[in-house]
Amino acid sequence: MKDVLWLLAMLALPLFGSGVLRIPLVRNLDLPARVSLAFATGAVVLTTLMFAMSVVGIHWTRAAILIALVMVLAAARPALRGTAMPFARRPLALTLLTVITVLTLYGILDARETCGDLIYFWGPKGQQFYLSEKIDTEFLAWPHYSLMHPDYPPLIPEIYAWGSMAAHRFSWWGALLLTPIYLLATTFAFRGLVRQRLGDERASAYAVLLGALLAFGFARGMVAGAGEPPLILFEIIALTALTFHGHSREGIALAAIALTGVVATKVEGAAFAAILIFAFILTRRSIKAALAAALPAAAFLGAWILFASHYKLIDQYGRAGGKLNLAGLWPVLHWTTIQASYGVWWAPWIAVSAPLATTRRWRQAAMPLVVSGGLVASTIYFYLHGEDLSWWLLWIRTSAERVLLAPLACLLVASAASSE
Amino acid sequence: MPRVERVVVTVATLLMIAVLAQRLYTRGGPYFTRPVTIVDRVGPRPYEIEPTLRLLPQIRPLLPRNASVACFQPVKGVQAYQMDNFFAAVGQLPYQKVIPSFAAATDVPLENLAQYVVAIKEPFTHPSYDLVATFPQGRLYKVRR
Repeated sequence: MKDVLWLLAMLALPLFGSGVLRIPLVRNLDLPARVSLAFATGAVVLTTLMFAMSVVGIHWTRAAILIALVMVLAAARPALRGTAMPFARRPLALTLLTVITVLTLYGILDARETCGDLIYFWGPKGQQFYLSEKIDTEFLAWPHYSLMHPDYPPLIPEIYAWGSMAAHRFSWWGALLLTPIYLLATTFAFRGLVRQRLGDERASAYAVLLGALLAFGFARGMVAGAGEPPLILFEIIALTALTFHGHSREGIALAAIALTGVVATKVEGAAFAAILIFAFILTRRSIKAALAAALPAAAFLGAWILFASHYKLIDQYGRAGGKLNLAGLWPVLHWTTIQASYGVWWAPWIAVSAPLATTRRWRQAAMPLVVSGGLVASTIYFYLHGEDLSWWLLWIRTSAERVLLAPLACLLVASAASSE
Repeated sequence: MPRVERVVVTVATLLMIAVLAQRLYTRGGPYFTRPVTIVDRVGPRPYEIEPTLRLLPQIRPLLPRNASVACFQPVKGVQAYQMDNFFAAVGQLPYQKVIPSFAAATDVPLENLAQYVVAIKEPFTHPSYDLVATFPQGRLYKVRR
């Protein structure tokens, strides 16, 4: 029962994000796309709210957060109308998406996709934050817990704490079951955002391919309960918004929200945000729009780093200026390439780039292609900060399949953009 | 949508679904029994901390709030630091203070020893600890003060 309550709290996240429905671009999408975008926005709003409460010393009580929710709803006045089942006229797409969802649910409920990071730090952090009703800086700063990455951004543990507040305890199975929710939210949000430009059939086909890619990547990379599913949700929304709606203020606004989610979820989110903004400037030559998209994310990240510095929690962010070890270039490239095969002869790379090879409209696909390439380059760059062979091998083996999911998903956005 | 593009995207989707199904299958059986822990089927071989995740929920009710607890698999009867067992215990014992295994070393003064030791699989032979309970996956010890 408590697991159900925990999950219901997660399903209430769209209420916190209902303000996004005031953006006309979002308001005109189909219902699942709107709910998905409100879900993502809700995670960002709740994270920001709980972070702000921690900063000013207000404890996370249910009453305090529900009061904030009522204020959000009063300001947003959301209207949930429109098409409920966007795939209804696409029986093949609907069937394939159902198969993908059922397989993912099976993998989760049969404990086949669990990420160790959930057990070792995401879960313990979320649980501790819930018990202490704040971002517990004493817990994070305890030297023996330093391997929990004390300066990792707060979105996931805060969201986990929110669920635990509703259920009166942390739910390990609930955290795992968030994975198919993130998967569907990413698929629906992507489909909704590209449908206007690509048409219903094409949007559905590419959305289902994205769902299949991520479902495999989540299972292979063992990311259930960890940071990648929400990170990719935010990344796909930001990239899709700028690729397909980057000319409008509404697209910029949506990208700004999603980019805030990106930097609030994982440390590598900062690299994604920087690469996306660089690619946007490079391909659209609009510095003003790029700054508008980046500003909320930069403000959040700056505030978080200041907070972490104040409580002496800096760990991963402090490694950005580390020494580059070019002696490792060959082993890093070699092992990253092997891990990039995902054990299936690079099938995911072939699957997402094959449509691009048939359409070949490179100009339209330029921005997501630059982002995808930039993410691969940044991954190699970070790996080159290793010290020795065993360290490289361990790090690449344990992370490459997860980290490379982002450039893979960006490549799919490039394929979709090229098909326009 | 041109036919070629439709075929390419559909085949790509089917390919990804096939490798997803293959991935789930190769985690090994049993395929349709309820898992006890969240790591029961993550690989063809048992996950390192599976016994820990089975043991700690059974031990949890026996521990007083705020007690200091060390959790490890003893090596030749003495403490040995294992990062995975340590952090798994932090998550599984939220109402206790989980401390590293060396708080149960033989050279630690009595007043600084962990109040409880959760010994995974192997027995723990520290002279200052008494056995409290035994489970299939390990034992619980309490310091004698």
